[in-house]
Amino acid sequence: MQSDALLHLNLNRRGQFTRRNFLQAAALGVAGSPLLSQIQLNAAEMKKQGRACILLWLAGAPSQLETWDPKPGSPNGGETKKIQTQTPGIEIAHYWPKIASVMNDVALIRSMTGKEAAHERGTYHLHTGHRMLGIEKFPHFGSVVARELGDPNSDIPNFVSIGQTLSSGFLGVQVAPFIIDRPGQLPDNVTSDASAARQRRRLALLSQQERDFAQAGAEALVQEQSKLYQKASLMMTSPRLKAFEFDGESEDMQTAYGKNQLGQGLLVARRLVEAGVPFVEVRSNGWDMHSSIFRNMERRAADVDQGLSQLLTDLKSRGLLEKTLVLCMGEFGRTPKINARPPAPGRDHWVRNFNLLMAGAGIKGGQAIGKTDENGQEITDNPVQVEDLFQSMCKAMGINADMELHTPIGRPVRLVDGGAVIKGLFG
Amino acid sequence: MLQRGPSSLHKRPRQWITLVLLICLTLLTTSSAAPRKNTKKKLPPLNLPPLKTQEQKMQLLGYIRQNMPTLRQGSRVSFSSQDLDKALALELGDTISQAAPLIDDETFIRRASLDLTGTLPSAEKIKTFVADQNSNKRSDYIDELLETEAYARKWARYWTSVIFYESEANKRRVNPEALEDWLAEQFRKGAPWDYITVMLISATPERNKKKKNDYGQDYGPNNFVLACENKSTELASETARIFMGISIQCAECHDHPFDNWKRIQFHELAAFFHPYTYKMPSQEDPTVSTVVKPRFLLGEKPYENMKSDARRVSIAAYLAYNPQNYWFARAYVNRIWSELIGDGFYDVDSLGPDGDVVHKPIVNRIAANFRYKDFDPKWVFRLIMNSQVYQREMRTMDSPSELFTAIRPSRLRPDVVANSVSHVIGENPQLRKEIDTVFDVNPSLPQSTLEGSIQQALLLMNQRELQQALSQSELKQKLLGITSNEELVQSLYLNVLARNPTPDELQRNVSYLQSSEKRDEAVEDLLWVLVNCTEFRTKR
Repeated sequence: MQSDALLHLNLNRRGQFTRRNFLQAAALGVAGSPLLSQIQLNAAEMKKQGRACILLWLAGAPSQLETWDPKPGSPNGGETKKIQTQTPGIEIAHYWPKIASVMNDVALIRSMTGKEAAHERGTYHLHTGHRMLGIEKFPHFGSVVARELGDPNSDIPNFVSIGQTLSSGFLGVQVAPFIIDRPGQLPDNVTSDASAARQRRRLALLSQQERDFAQAGAEALVQEQSKLYQKASLMMTSPRLKAFEFDGESEDMQTAYGKNQLGQGLLVARRLVEAGVPFVEVRSNGWDMHSSIFRNMERRAADVDQGLSQLLTDLKSRGLLEKTLVLCMGEFGRTPKINARPPAPGRDHWVRNFNLLMAGAGIKGGQAIGKTDENGQEITDNPVQVEDLFQSMCKAMGINADMELHTPIGRPVRLVDGGAVIKGLFG
Repeated sequence: MLQRGPSSLHKRPRQWITLVLLICLTLLTTSSAAPRKNTKKKLPPLNLPPLKTQEQKMQLLGYIRQNMPTLRQGSRVSFSSQDLDKALALELGDTISQAAPLIDDETFIRRASLDLTGTLPSAEKIKTFVADQNSNKRSDYIDELLETEAYARKWARYWTSVIFYESEANKRRVNPEALEDWLAEQFRKGAPWDYITVMLISATPERNKKKKNDYGQDYGPNNFVLACENKSTELASETARIFMGISIQCAECHDHPFDNWKRIQFHELAAFFHPYTYKMPSQEDPTVSTVVKPRFLLGEKPYENMKSDARRVSIAAYLAYNPQNYWFARAYVNRIWSELIGDGFYDVDSLGPDGDVVHKPIVNRIAANFRYKDFDPKWVFRLIMNSQVYQREMRTMDSPSELFTAIRPSRLRPDVVANSVSHVIGENPQLRKEIDTVFDVNPSLPQSTLEGSIQQALLLMNQRELQQALSQSELKQKLLGITSNEELVQSLYLNVLARNPTPDELQRNVSYLQSSEKRDEAVEDLLWVLVNCTEFRTKR
């Protein structure tokens, strides 16, 4: 397939050699040693080279007024109050006390402005950097990262998503997200009862069988399938599979992240990043709060507040935050004006201004970029487009935002079309 | 069923004739070029027959259907599979000389069974079919399959998935199984596609407050509306997408960037589905909104003072019975063609400008004839499957100019993969569920853009119940009972891949059996290999 050539072009200009060495070492005999030492080995390398990204996706579009840009006392403020944060001068909504306590590591963008006010389209825009127009299926940013920073011969996927997400689009299956639903458990079907020798025999026969079918006219399907089987086989014997479980992780640590789907997902994300996975998405559902927004926010925010603040603290104490970009966002914002829906009011879709949280990977913490007016209706300072955000994400990851990707029909498209790195975001 | 003979409505002529006339007149006189004027004059309320129940609605729609001029002229027109091949050869020009050869009987029987029923033919069936000397046997087999329960079930599943795949409706308020059962019943009895469509579009589910979680979802057709959460905007974009093959949902927010559909048209369509007065929100300020009157995409306007139920009837009529709405018949034809051939004339539900349609004369001719054939779904299958286009060998194609010179090897849908697995190991509900999840894929995406996943590979390689079943299956016992290695391998291929092994395959597998110490394990290995090969989950 054409995409295959593309996959190997441009791959891994950074960090590939050393990471491969690590893997070879692991394959040659370190494999039996406890995970901890491997993680330490890898963590040391991460510090040297590897960039990674954890995207916490708040599906449904969280309200900017109930997160990082509250407007209490204004007609649009609702029941939400402000609290002080660790950083003097930055105040956020009262649902987020623990995030407030790590604000010195966090940059808030309060002046995002988008173009898509429907969930599917907004999700696409904020995951790919491109609007859903035409037939091109742009890749998830995680697939771009997996292609640029991941090891193509890695024994575990270079892009893991805890919960459903977008596909790799025209970048193909090599960098597609590996989706798991139950954080803390091994992925389904990664163990086999057959002996290694028997498994090898079977795979050898299989590849002969596949050759015949390819010759009969199904080359593309066979090539794709062979790649998947190679990856699946490699994964089954990977010592790094343990990163999916909480093996060696203290009970305290599991509790610190929050004993819920989201908290445990973030803990797995940290373990996967430590094990060398360059992109992990963790999905949190339930942010489409058309009604009962204040009550729902109280419930939803608690888990995210705990898990996200713990993730930042944990990454920092392990020396991983400086190389790991942490992003927390949703597809757009919510109407400043509160609606009149029964049983209790909420906010509807709004794309003209919204906000998000970024940390790590060289981003200067303790700042809030951009402003909205006192009613939260208009941006009054430094509007940030989605393309600006993607330029900044690329910079944080050390990826050239201007590079050309090629669609299956060979049309060159820029990874990020326009925009500029957000001013002042990096120290 | 739609009334085709004299209807009971004839007994109350004055009541319905006004509406029918109004609908028919608008259908015949308006076109997309019609000037847009809002009549100021207030019309008196219509004296309509009651349109509360589904039967009442269907009676009126049946009458409108009978009066469609195309249906009357249709009985004299014929368009055969040979006509299709000739027309396509003309359209393809020189490219037709590079077309793939026609398939043999073995490949045909597997392909046709998978396409029509989603199941593999039995080894015995393959043998008798290949041995059969009747020159009409392929055509007869197609007819035979079209009368099976499995045909009705497979296509009911397909359309249920089309309707529900991206639905965000609350799970407790919908019942996809009820829709699937209802659709299966329609396909079984050969209901026309227009009838199925107008039943879905004109349905008006009502909530029964006396019963917990009763939204009328147990009545099949209601689930189209419920899958759209009964939202006017969702109903508008899904109606256009599924029944016209047009993607207009972006016009909800803005004029389509490269198409003819305007934002106002989207909202005019949505207004049909609104129970009261529909208002379009302003693009600039969401607090401002303007009243929008219902108007169909081709310009048809319903009678002004219609009640909600009557508006649903009128949109169903405009959709299915306006002769100018060729999108309706074409959307069905294009979907079935895409499923059978592996590529559509355009991506099934995202048609941009009409100029993007490849070989447009062909799809338009099939669509026109589909209408003449009373929108009979089985006619489309017969037409395509009896043609040479369908009966060509597979080939990986990269450029649009090669389209339809061969069949694209297609990934089987999740339920078909599950059927194939149970064909080998017997039924296992838990495993079926897991396959349905892991192999799930949006049925509206083109085959060429679909992707497999590592999870799919892992499932077929390792899933515990599957492995146990493979080692304990009846098939394995049967194979172990065969003493000749050649016969064993032949039976294996026939039972798993529905074909005989090639000489290479025969030799390779026989020597594997010979060199293995444990025959039992070796047979299991061979089974494992065939279940894991690409061909097993592909239509060749």
